[in-house]
Amino acid sequence: MSEELIEKVKQMIIDSLRIEGMSPDEIETDAPLFGEGLGLDSIDALQLVVAMEKEFGVVVPDAATGSTVFASVRSMAGYIGEHRK
Amino acid sequence: MICWMYPGQPIAFTDTHCSDPEFQKIALLCQKTTGFNPVEFGSSSSDLNESVRLQLFGACTSLYRTSQLKSQGRGPDLIAEHSMGIYPALAASGSIDSETALALTSRIGVSMARMGLQRAYALGCVIGLPLGSLAVIAANHDIYIANFNTSRHFLLAGERGKVDAALVEATASGAFSVSIFPCDAPLHTPLIEAITGELQQIVAEYHFAEPRIPLVEHIGQTPLTAAAIPAFLVEELCRPVYWEATYCTLRSRGVTRFQEVGVGSALAKFNRWIDSET
Repeated sequence: MSEELIEKVKQMIIDSLRIEGMSPDEIETDAPLFGEGLGLDSIDALQLVVAMEKEFGVVVPDAATGSTVFASVRSMAGYIGEHRK
Repeated sequence: MICWMYPGQPIAFTDTHCSDPEFQKIALLCQKTTGFNPVEFGSSSSDLNESVRLQLFGACTSLYRTSQLKSQGRGPDLIAEHSMGIYPALAASGSIDSETALALTSRIGVSMARMGLQRAYALGCVIGLPLGSLAVIAANHDIYIANFNTSRHFLLAGERGKVDAALVEATASGAFSVSIFPCDAPLHTPLIEAITGELQQIVAEYHFAEPRIPLVEHIGQTPLTAAAIPAFLVEELCRPVYWEATYCTLRSRGVTRFQEVGVGSALAKFNRWIDSET
């Protein structure tokens, strides 16, 4: 997967979750997004689902899929790479 | 315009502020008023159950954050509240003092806890389904929508078994995620009307001054007056929380900045979702 896609995913996380004062460089590509790491929760997950669909046309159908997809930035980029139309 | 928002009961204890002397002062006031010290959350000898302890922990955190913000010379133009956030919100508005906010939190919490001794209740969080689908599911299982937080975030309340069954149906209907939280009482539903006499007696023991800062309530989105507060404190437990409507009303009245004053950032996240749709 390309570094460009990883950067785009990081920017999408910052924009859709309105994380103030954070740049893409500050998000670790392999760090967990939920619980530890960025400390996201299920409200954030749905916001990311909508953002991914809007920006990449990729659907995350349910929380079970989401828990794998949203494990890290790398897993998000991997899922987008596989499912992008 | 700036609005301070007071969230409801947290779902877990966090010790983020416990070492701060300012928090400890409020914790001691809580101990004096209710017998429970939130700094000793897990080990306190208080006989209050976990739900009431969490409600008090949430109230203490809101009172602490209010005090912090005020000490920085900050203040709101308006105040809003969600569910059990009403008590520290009333304190922030100047209608009651911190001690009364904690006493009300504890006494009303204990009163509701007694409901849980007779029957098991639960709250069910459903994320991703639209209101129309969820309303059908709630009706199918004889439970209630207790919180209308956003167009895709709702809380169901009712008897535990019925909430369990409703969440299974919600999942099958395409909900993105569901989760269940055991609770003492079916908060924000008409089932609470079984104890309204007791709640009215508790509320009647306290004096409520006219809020110095307008406090917009979550049912009809009107500013509370001193005369309306006692009835609202009982009614709000029997009726849903309409957060999306509250947020939209505040925005339409010119609020441009929202500050969450309490545990977590759930209200800010609801607002973010609502903003993304408008």
